[in-house]
Amino acid sequence: MATCSLANERLRALEDIEREIGAILQNAGNVILELSKEKTNERLLDRQAAAFTASVQHVEAELSAQIRYLTQVATGQPHEGSSYSSRKDCQMALKRVDYARLKLSDVAHTCEQMLEN
Amino acid sequence: MAQQRALPQSKETLLQSYNKRLKDDVKSIMDNFTEIIKTAKIEDETQVSRATQGEQDNYEMHVRAANIVRAGESLMKLVSDLKQFLILNDFPSVNEAIDQRNQQLRALQEECDRKLITLRDEVSIDLYELEEEYYSSSSSLCEANDLPLCEAYWRLDHHSDPTDGLSAPLLVSPEPSTGPLQAAAPVHPHASGPGPTEHS
Repeated sequence: MATCSLANERLRALEDIEREIGAILQNAGNVILELSKEKTNERLLDRQAAAFTASVQHVEAELSAQIRYLTQVATGQPHEGSSYSSRKDCQMALKRVDYARLKLSDVAHTCEQMLEN
Repeated sequence: MAQQRALPQSKETLLQSYNKRLKDDVKSIMDNFTEIIKTAKIEDETQVSRATQGEQDNYEMHVRAANIVRAGESLMKLVSDLKQFLILNDFPSVNEAIDQRNQQLRALQEECDRKLITLRDEVSIDLYELEEEYYSSSSSLCEANDLPLCEAYWRLDHHSDPTDGLSAPLLVSPEPSTGPLQAAAPVHPHASGPGPTEHS
């Protein structure tokens, strides 16, 4: 679906960042858990610490980019566009269709009555 | 900066506060995590007894872990605020969304009107046949000054709701010259398009 693609892309990127923040906390917890063990698995420790650091840097970079984009795009004015007029026209077209259907059913009913008589 | 436009003070302040929150939260996460790792190192020499040092380290780690979680939650709140700001102030995407919605609605309206026009043409053909059948049948009680069915139908609609514009796209105003039905040449005042029209 191509509707609202621009807005959806950015919102989806922000949702990914939210998931990544959760992953950051998860990685931090895993590292500390691993450290608390008697016998630590160094490779796992290094991997998770690296993942933690990379995630934090990635989140910071992405959020900075979003804020930079908003600084360029925001005008401070409210958006006054709307799709109200086309929505109203479409509504009237649907009303016309309903009215035509109603009148056709009346004509059909009249024809049936005449046939019965 | 040449690229920076003059934003209203509130918006600029808001975006600067977002930047500050981001930097502070990331710094808090990194610092507290680093300190926890440092605290995990076991020192041989301690100023207090090992048990006390252990308790102190335990408490410190709890506090730092809580700080990491708080900073994480603050980041989530920041992301939520950014989403809201984006939805309200990202004009290119709002414009695109409005344009696409307008296109969809206009396309639907045109399709409805197209189908209504097709229906009108088909119904006018059927009405012609119905009128022929009605006025030529023995059950017809029409007199010379009776109106054709279609005209009577249209006038009934017109009198019942003179302000109703809905029937206007379907039916065109009948010509004043059409009167009682001519058996040889029936007139269809409402069919302005293709179809059995314009019988003189």
